Amino acid sequence: MTLVIRGRIVPMSKVDPAATFAGNVYLGDDGLIEAVTSGKSNPPAGFSNAPVVDVGNALVIPGIIDLHNHLGYNALPLWSEPKQKKPFLHHNDWTDAPSYKSSITWTSWVLAHAAPEALLAYVQTRALVGGTTAIQGWPAYNRPPQMVVRNIDAEKAGTNNPNLIYTSALTEKPLDLAQKAQRMAHGSGFIYHCAEGQLNSIVTREFADAANAGCLVKTFIGIHCSAIAASDWKRWQQAQAGALVWSPFSNLWLYGSTTDVPSAQARDVSICLGSDWGPSGTKHVLAEMKVAKLASKKLGYGLTDKNLVAMVTCNAGDVLSRCWHKPYGRLVQGGFGDVTVLRPHGTGDVWSQIVKATEADIMLTIVSGQPRYGDADAMTAAKAGPAGKLTIAGSTRKLAIPDPKDNTKAWRWADIVAQLDAVRKDPAGALKKEDAHRRAFAGPRTADEAPLELALDMPNGGALAFAGPPPDPAKVVIPPLPSLVHDKDFFDAIHGHGFHGGLLDGLARFYGS
Amino acid sequence: MPSRQVTQLKSSALDHQRGTPLSDSLLPLQSRIAKLTWGERLDILDAWTLVLDGTYAHLPLKQALYGFDPIRAIEHLRQQVPTLSDIQFHRALTALINRLRDAHTQYSGPHTIQNAVATLPFLVETYGPFDKCHYVVSKISDKRLVGDLHFEPGVTLNWWNGVPFDRAVDLHADNETGGRPDARRARALESLTFRSLEFGPPPDEYWVDIGYTDLKKKDHELRLPWRVVLPNRAPTAGRGGAMRSRRAINPAAEAVRRAKKLLFNPALWQEEQRQVSSLRPSQGTGVAEHYKDFLTARTVSTRHGKFGYLRIWSFDVDSDTEFLEAAKELLDRLPDTGLIIDLRDNPGGFIWAAERMLQLFTPNQISPTKFALRSTPLTRAMASARFNDGELGPWKSSLESAPSTGEPYSTHLPITSVEQCNDLGQYYGGPVVAVVDANTYSSGDLFTAGIADNRIGPIVCIGEATGAGGANVWTSDDLSAAMKPAGLPLPTLAHSANFTIALRRAVRSGDADGVLIEDSGIPGQPYSMTKRDIFGENKDLIEHCAAMLASQPLTRMHVARERGALTITTAGLDYVDIFIDGHPASFPGKKLASDDVTHLQIAEYAGEVEVVGFAANEVKQRRRLPARA
Repeated sequence: MTLVIRGRIVPMSKVDPAATFAGNVYLGDDGLIEAVTSGKSNPPAGFSNAPVVDVGNALVIPGIIDLHNHLGYNALPLWSEPKQKKPFLHHNDWTDAPSYKSSITWTSWVLAHAAPEALLAYVQTRALVGGTTAIQGWPAYNRPPQMVVRNIDAEKAGTNNPNLIYTSALTEKPLDLAQKAQRMAHGSGFIYHCAEGQLNSIVTREFADAANAGCLVKTFIGIHCSAIAASDWKRWQQAQAGALVWSPFSNLWLYGSTTDVPSAQARDVSICLGSDWGPSGTKHVLAEMKVAKLASKKLGYGLTDKNLVAMVTCNAGDVLSRCWHKPYGRLVQGGFGDVTVLRPHGTGDVWSQIVKATEADIMLTIVSGQPRYGDADAMTAAKAGPAGKLTIAGSTRKLAIPDPKDNTKAWRWADIVAQLDAVRKDPAGALKKEDAHRRAFAGPRTADEAPLELALDMPNGGALAFAGPPPDPAKVVIPPLPSLVHDKDFFDAIHGHGFHGGLLDGLARFYGS
Repeated sequence: MPSRQVTQLKSSALDHQRGTPLSDSLLPLQSRIAKLTWGERLDILDAWTLVLDGTYAHLPLKQALYGFDPIRAIEHLRQQVPTLSDIQFHRALTALINRLRDAHTQYSGPHTIQNAVATLPFLVETYGPFDKCHYVVSKISDKRLVGDLHFEPGVTLNWWNGVPFDRAVDLHADNETGGRPDARRARALESLTFRSLEFGPPPDEYWVDIGYTDLKKKDHELRLPWRVVLPNRAPTAGRGGAMRSRRAINPAAEAVRRAKKLLFNPALWQEEQRQVSSLRPSQGTGVAEHYKDFLTARTVSTRHGKFGYLRIWSFDVDSDTEFLEAAKELLDRLPDTGLIIDLRDNPGGFIWAAERMLQLFTPNQISPTKFALRSTPLTRAMASARFNDGELGPWKSSLESAPSTGEPYSTHLPITSVEQCNDLGQYYGGPVVAVVDANTYSSGDLFTAGIADNRIGPIVCIGEATGAGGANVWTSDDLSAAMKPAGLPLPTLAHSANFTIALRRAVRSGDADGVLIEDSGIPGQPYSMTKRDIFGENKDLIEHCAAMLASQPLTRMHVARERGALTITTAGLDYVDIFIDGHPASFPGKKLASDDVTHLQIAEYAGEVEVVGFAANEVKQRRRLPARA
């Protein structure tokens, strides 16, 4: 479908990064941006009958990018280990925590195995509600699931190559890093969880291994890097500077400290944001921007609101473009057609309005030119495909996620939640039912119609590298599904928990709590 | 109108038994096979080269044992691709793969008739010692399919297409899998009149001329056409889900077993087909009824007394838990004086079902068999891929260290965890003897190894040992699904060509820890079948086993729990220990008089209760009663 968004355009273009203007974004039926125009210029060919969504003075920005997540775990609430009295040292420290398996590994595994489609629908909806259009950190799958948010890990960018970007949530051995370096030398990208922990803790060696293996190049995207000191950052040559994905909420929650962002910036490393995962992160990067603002102020990083907006748009888009060979994270001709529309928020400049925006301010979330979520009238004007209703921040919204059983129909939000609740209430029964469903399918496991199987990406803390099954599913207690927005329950869970020393309590203020 | 129903059933079953002539089935098949291009043939050979070199668990052993390098042979076949017709190509590749003598590793060419089996309407069995055995017809499906009144069970077979019968069997055995001569002959006899078209080539001839001596010692000749039947899988047979990559089975033998059921037990087969629409036991029927294609039981009366007889036809089920429930239901009906477990012709199936079953027969902890992958770049990549973590993750670290240590295999780890193997505990307390033959294969091998290595009971073996299929078998589809996330995709095979391959080799545990099963099998006390066994429902064999059971010391223990009271009925035990939630509830154990009934009080809120019975300071009985609901 073709679509025109008319409003106050914030293109983040390289030519004039600070520009904003009243104009139009033309989204082609190929999922790319056909044109971005200011004023009342004539539409490009093929758009004369395209639906026009006039959002007035609302901000039309590049689709928000979450460059660090673990989607399979986003139906879980915040987690803190009751017996842990001091901050964890590094990422291998908390996987042995007494409650880690029962709270995270087994609960997420049961949800992912008993209701994989519903789980992915839920976590994608959570992203869309925050205006997120692309996410990194999907579970592995036997065949492509229903994806309405861009999958950064598997994006082919119009090619047949599924390996434009490699990812790893676990620490890689030096020789495997050398192999990744070689692949990057041939044009791929590599998103790597690296040196996650307290400053100068033992995991610093992960960055040294990456450097020694030749990974510090322009398509290397290091997640966390919080253990790295200023002197270590100097190993990354400015001419080869890649990107850092900063997740301040998760760092402060687990380790009581976070990444030395100024030292990375000094090496011209591009800073991006990631909300990490349900157990120790924000619900989407719209909130992570606010945490970054809090952290910057507290730690004296001097980041501006414009810097923060760039982290979730053009900074992430530029480094991905090096692998995808198409503009991304900017509203420019030929770029990916991902757009987020935000209601004006307050009287500050456009950048502060974006940083202050909350879920209530998301008017429209468009992925590959397809309206997926937004105000009911905006979705109607955009002629979105079949869509169901849900209420966010007191307003009725529309959600366009196709029903996996019948792609011509919308998947009702109530049905998605009901499926997950059924698993919560009877984990063993739900697993048995899903296993029977899989047994009944005799075709190839990789066939499009095969039952979906997901493999999660976080450590298991046992013999298996990644999350594995519980010894007794009947004893798994899955907490109620968290809300999709940052609300009182979330802020209450922050207060007095984690190791942030009260810094994260400030997040509530952005939401008027 | 019950009589009319029976008539209709028989008539319908006969149609299924009759099937279609092989010539009618093969002609359209051959015309479809002709569509394979040379390039598609090369894809098939490339796929085989990749998986044999990169994953085949037994490659170095088969190369050493048979002096045969399948990868070089495939390279040679590659050169001949342009000169072969399609049917010649598939036959050549099948013959090449069969030289590995591995029923797990089989090529199934494109457009084979799924589930189809070419049959002759009779079964051949032998009796007597291996070097002087007699070939007789043991069963005939329906006289209308034979058309010769003299050809009946008991006739002696002399000629097969003009070839002396024993020579014809040996010639057919050369094309069969099986590491030992007796295993090959057993496999040859099994498939002489039943050929799975899904897992092998069709017979060369469209009909067979049989020379035989009838029951009145008169010689006759008979011409019988090969006919193709579709026996279908059992409603409770394994399909997918958790058991998918945890199978150890000879798939061709399982297809043949199903065809035999259609031909020689048509009423049961037809009744089972009606169950297909209801995949789970209906209300009011026991789970054992639903699993009767896999498990049957009866009480046998012998000169030594009455004993239980449990036939395990196959482990190819889709639910190990239900399978065990069915077994327990059957054991409840049998005397506790001793049990004959008959595993002859069991082609294997779901490893969990076989290995978890062992615990029902012993008071001791079960050690399962262990499995290893070959250490290759491909197995390493597969084990490292996140999508495969649940299946291959435990083998990952040893595969990753193998290049540094030179170890040709990963570490050996169980597929059925120790916890799974011991989660139910002993259920049958009498002595046990297992009966196996050279067609007891794969999960049947694993079960037999478990009987021997966990000292559950003696093994009686027809032939030298079990069939020696020591591996976990994967289909090409499952392998493809595991190779793709490893970044080393399996070439797409044209026209649904597929294969199975031994991916993880098995070694024994317990007393025989580390001993390979492939090509050697599990030996037992030798037994030669008699004519009375074949035509008298295994009478001599059962007497033989009954004598073995009767010679073993008998102890008994029955435990009942009623609120806070335990009633323990024992015989032949000296004392019992009680454990509640894993803690000793009495020390030392409760001393018993002979044939005692003991009443004990326990806390009403007590959880799991375990009662352990000792005789001469050895654990003889153990019962675990779950916590009250």
